[in-house]
Formats: sequence, C-alpha cells, structure tokens
Amino acid sequence: MSTIPLRDILISARQEAYRMRHFYLGVEHLFIALLEIKGGLASSIMEGHGLATEYVIDAIRRKVGKGSRHRLWAGIPNTPRTEVVLAIANELAVETSRKEISEQDLLIAILEENENIPVRVLRILNQDIAELTKEARTKVNTNNAQQAFVKIDYGPHFNRNEALSEQHLLVLRRMFYGYDEIRVERRLTGGYTKALVLVVTPINSDQREDAAVVVKIDQADIILDEAQRYDTNVKASLPPFSARLVDRPTAPEKSDFAGIKYTFVGNDTASSKDMRFVAAALGAPKLADWLKNGLFPLFGKTWWQQRRPYRFQAWREYDGILPPILTLELVDEKEVPANAHLLKMPIKRSRLKQLEYGDIVLIENFTVSKVYRDRKAIQLAAAQGSDAATAYKIEMRGIDLDKDAYYRGEVVERIAGKVWKTRHEHLITAARTLEPDFDINAEFIPSGLDSPARLQNPLNFYDTLLETSVNGSLSKIHGDLHLGNLLLGPGDNPSLIDFAQTRDGHTVFDWITLEISLLSDLIMPAVGSEWQDARKLLKYLQALNKREALPPGDSKLAELFSVIQAVRDIAQECLTDAEDWSEYFVGMTLCGLRALTWDTMSIGTRRLMFMLAALSLAYSQPSQKAAAPSPDATEIGDNTAGQG
Amino acid sequence: MDFKFDVMIMSGVEDGSVLKYNSGSGDGQTSAHKWTLTIGRRDDNDVCLRNDTYISRQHAKLHYENAVWQLEDCNSTNGTFIENPANSFEDTRVNGTIPLQIGQLFRVGRTWLRIQISE
Repeated sequence: MSTIPLRDILISARQEAYRMRHFYLGVEHLFIALLEIKGGLASSIMEGHGLATEYVIDAIRRKVGKGSRHRLWAGIPNTPRTEVVLAIANELAVETSRKEISEQDLLIAILEENENIPVRVLRILNQDIAELTKEARTKVNTNNAQQAFVKIDYGPHFNRNEALSEQHLLVLRRMFYGYDEIRVERRLTGGYTKALVLVVTPINSDQREDAAVVVKIDQADIILDEAQRYDTNVKASLPPFSARLVDRPTAPEKSDFAGIKYTFVGNDTASSKDMRFVAAALGAPKLADWLKNGLFPLFGKTWWQQRRPYRFQAWREYDGILPPILTLELVDEKEVPANAHLLKMPIKRSRLKQLEYGDIVLIENFTVSKVYRDRKAIQLAAAQGSDAATAYKIEMRGIDLDKDAYYRGEVVERIAGKVWKTRHEHLITAARTLEPDFDINAEFIPSGLDSPARLQNPLNFYDTLLETSVNGSLSKIHGDLHLGNLLLGPGDNPSLIDFAQTRDGHTVFDWITLEISLLSDLIMPAVGSEWQDARKLLKYLQALNKREALPPGDSKLAELFSVIQAVRDIAQECLTDAEDWSEYFVGMTLCGLRALTWDTMSIGTRRLMFMLAALSLAYSQPSQKAAAPSPDATEIGDNTAGQG
Repeated sequence: MDFKFDVMIMSGVEDGSVLKYNSGSGDGQTSAHKWTLTIGRRDDNDVCLRNDTYISRQHAKLHYENAVWQLEDCNSTNGTFIENPANSFEDTRVNGTIPLQIGQLFRVGRTWLRIQISE
C-alpha cells in the first residue's frame, strides 16, 4: 500500500484550497489531493471506472466554484465535515493498529461519509458509491500492476506509414484488456480534429474474432465529455440499428488520452465502412441516393426535422468555428494601464478590429471553455450556457496552472493579456500560405466566372457577416458531419459516429459541413490543386446556386456534382423558407473561411474553400422576392453586376 | 404545535454544520399555520451565513405550512438555485417561491443547504 504520509496529503489539499481561493480545508480538497497522487489508489479506482483524474478534478471544481478574493477569516480552518471525515479515517487506522491515517483510510472515509461534495459529483458522473467503497477497501497496491499485454496486429487496409503513437497504443491495449490480440483494420478519418478513429477487430485467446468496433481516441476531457453528452443528448434520438457507444470510456491514468468504442446494435460491424473510405468506389449516384433516401429520412425525424424557429445573429452560431478573436499573453493585473481596452459582453466588433500586437486587453466575465495543461494556456469564451456554440474564443497563454486553478465553465471576473495575434492575422496568414495569384488585401478578387468577374473578398467582410441576422431554425445537429463520420453499415444502413459536437444548433450547419467534406474528399482531388482548378469548380457551384444547368463538357465532374445536388436537396428541406438560401450561404461563407486554417486539408481544397467563401458571400443576403434580382447581383457592388 | 427542523450546510467553510430551529423556542416567525425562517448574511436572519460574500443581506426565506416546505428568493443579487437534473453543472435559478422537499439541496449565493428532520 502507498506510503504517502497524511501530512503530505494535507499539504497538497491546502494548495488546492489556495488555488481555488477557498481558504478552508474541505472534503473536496482532500479528495483532489488523493486524486493527485501519481499511481495512487483514488486515481486507479477512477481509471477502472473510465474516469480520467483530471476530468474528475475539473468536475469537482465546476461544482464548487472559485471563492471570492476577499478573505473573511484567518488561516485555513477545517470544515466540520472534514473533521467528521478525518475522525472516520482515524477510526479505520486504529482498527488496523496503525499510528497514522493512510491514503486508503482517507479515501474510504470520504466515500463512507457519503454526503460530501466529491461523493455528490461522483454520483453525477454515474458512479455507484457503494461499489467504489468496496473497491477502496479491497484494492491492493496497483502501482506496479502488470500491464496487460494485448498483441496488436494490423489489417491489409491499415496504412503502416501512419504508425500509431505510444500513447495511442497504451489506450488501445487498455481498452481491449482481456483479449489476446486485436487487429487494427484501418483508420477512419484523416480528421480535422486530432482524434484518432480506427476500426478494430478483437480476437479471443481461442482465435475466435468478435465483431469489429469503431474506436475513437482523443484528449481525455473531450472523450469523457462525448460519453456524457451521448448519454444525455444522443442515445434517445438514435434510430435502431445505428452505431452505439459501448462500455465505459477508457482513460488510463498515465495518459492524457482516453478512448471510446462504437458498435452496431445486433449486427456485424465488420461490414460497416466509413464513407470517406468507400465514397469513390460506391459511385456518385448511389452515394447521392444513400444520403437523400437513407441517411436523411432515418435520422431526420429526431434530428434535422425538429426545426424550431430561430432568428439569430450569425456570430451566435458561427463565431466559435473561426480562429480565436485574440491570442493573448497573460499580464499581471497590476500592470494593466487605465486606458487598456476593455472586452466584455456585448462585444463591439469595431473596437475589436482596432486591436494590434502588444495592446493590453482587460477581459471581464468570460467563461473558461478549455484548459490546455500541456501548453499552459486556457481558452475563454463569451458565456452562453454549456450546450450552446461558443463565441468570441480568446486564447490566453502563459498561465501557471500550479498556482491558479482554472476549470471549464468557470466565469473569470477579470483577466488581462497582451495581444499576440488577432483573428484577422490568423486568417490572412492562412490565406497567404495558399500562394494566391491576387492581392489578398484587396476589396475584390478575380472569380474566374463569366459573371461577375470579381467577387468581394471574404476576408474583408466576415466581420459584417457575423452581425447579420439569420432567419433560420434550431434542431439537434451532429456538429461535425463529414464523410468520415458517416458509416455505411450492414445492409447499407446509414449510421453516424463521433458525437463530440452534437448539440442544438443551426439546422443547415450539418449539410454545409457535409458539402464541404464532399468537395474536399470527393471532388477537388478529381480536378487538381491549382487556383484555376478551384475556379473551374466555382462555375459548377454557381450553377447550383442559381439552379441552372451545370457547365457542359465534363460528364464525370457533372456526375460527382450530383452528390452536392443531393445535399442541396436535403438542405432545402431544412431551410426556413425553401426559396431563401441566405441562411445556408451565411453559414457556408464562414465555414469556408474556417477551412482555410485547416492544415490537414490539401492546399487545393483550401484554395477552393477561399473561392467558395467568396461565392457564398455573394449569396448571403436574403432574397427579395418582390424585386427578384439574381442573388449574385444584389451585393456585388460591381459594374458587371445587375443582369439577372 | 411546535415545529422542529434542522438546516445542514452542504458546502463552503461551514460544510457539515447543522443549525437547529424550533418554533417553540422562538425561532423564525409563526403566523397562523405558517412558520417562516429567513436566510441571509445579516445577523438578524434565522439562517445567518456570514462567510459567503455572494449571499445578500436578506437573501431567501423558507416557509413551512401544512407539512410542506417552500423556498422563496427575496430578489437576491446572486440568486437562489436548485439542482438541475438535465445539467448538473448549471443549476436552476429560483424565481419567486417553489416547493422544496426535505433533503433536497438548494443554493443561496455559493452555499448549498438542505432541510432535514431534526435528530
């Protein structure tokens, strides 16, 4: 058993109390101190239940909240409940004739007291306290527990040039503990996120193979949130025979990563394939049919067809997908000059635009949305409730997380930083790497279209667009509907995986995301990677926007565009006004700009994204039925505009 | 008839304290069949919580009538809350008066409390 003296646990608990500005020693601080013992009993029990230590600590901090800056008493008194817990722990030590309370005594005492904050939080996280207590009583030293060795083999479709990292292998072995061997069949996503998604076949000791599962491995807090979100948000809305989350997440204590498994209910996952992998082989007409007559009707009722009326300013749904509005370096509050820029809700975008490198910004009442332990940084965002999309992300660097605790959901009253990078610089830098054959600061860019010959440069207009009122609707959306997250299940059954972004959001967002994914994975690679190739595709997209015939001469490309047409047909059913596409193109402009910064996307596709953003911007104004000018003529402000 | 109930503090520096109330010894205000206990930071409250700066001077009231408890927010600055089953990390703010179960957690300012039967 661990030999950490009680004194050291108490010191660590006091540090936690200071970090949270509590100035008292509560049971929550004791429990966090126990969790922080590397290889300790508390963290290994949590790990056995699929909970990463940091995640539990974060949940406790969220539940308790940070104390005020004013101290109302001296010293760090024990709370009455802490006294009760220490008394129970002392009895346990006496029972076994030990002089001092051990780590195990303290853990059992906290669980047995049963009404303290950590126990309440563990219940929120669906833990059975009686079960945990039993484990705490019987668990022997796991410090040097032998690593279960699960042999890892690779199937013929796995690209061995993309080897898995040690971290990933550790999580994988832990997830399939009990099997003799697993075969990694292939990767599912090239991924815009850092998540690793694999198809894995588990193999028993008698060589019998179990049904393959889809495994997702990512940062522990993202995975554990996804599992929680799945339970509360997603599970009930899935059609039968869809991919489901199985087991608890696996979060090894020694790793920052965690994993979850998806499987098909009552079916054989081995025959399910992700669309990115099979789209080309399936052929465009079949894919188009599968989207329109398979996926959409199956999920639509509980997802995109909810369509509750929702009029919103674009930033509410779309600001959060763009790069942070500011990247700042933490500055001590004492060094903040009286004339520092103040940032609080409601944000004035015009003021934001004036900020430059080195300016000092004071931020008030923003919410912590991410904690990057490895980079000593936090992400702040304007508070909108935890289920809403984030807006006005700010990255604050240079944070000493050993001194100041930050937890997700915390409202930070005041924090100051020096501007290191603005959103605009982010986007301009990303656009420069595309080696544009035009001036990226100009008001207009060459379109390559017959008319209009020039389009407004989206880099100069996204700010205005974010302020636009959108007449849209709100539904349950997947939040990251790209080809890699669509599965072709047994019997061609459609299915979805990866619910990390699932939320109530702008209904057409999913179809915008899917259109971009199709352009990126299916269409652009078939054409090329130069600016002229992107402009060629723009002609096709313009024809779709205008609902005119596609340019003649390239039947292969026209066939590929039938899939985009299918997405547009679905999107039209999701529009608030089937004749007004402005909500779609507001979203498309901003999603196109977001894609500029994705370095996992090919340079050709990113060029297309830039042109797509410019074209979509021209269609982002609500159509005026009475006047009925062609949409691309309304806001161009160009001599060539006006015909319609 | 005298009413006897306890209030237990469930978080903060006084976490675990039990405050005992007895209408027979003059705690709270009794009128007809209703017994009311006040909660706040000021000394003259029945449930006086000095250690939480998020609590208003006169923050909330507990009413007991016909064997039912009710919780009333007295337009406090930082609010009175109950737990939200849909999202345990975003509590539900109390507007006006709501029924309260014995043992149910509620929060004034940053401090969680509950009513329990007197031991």
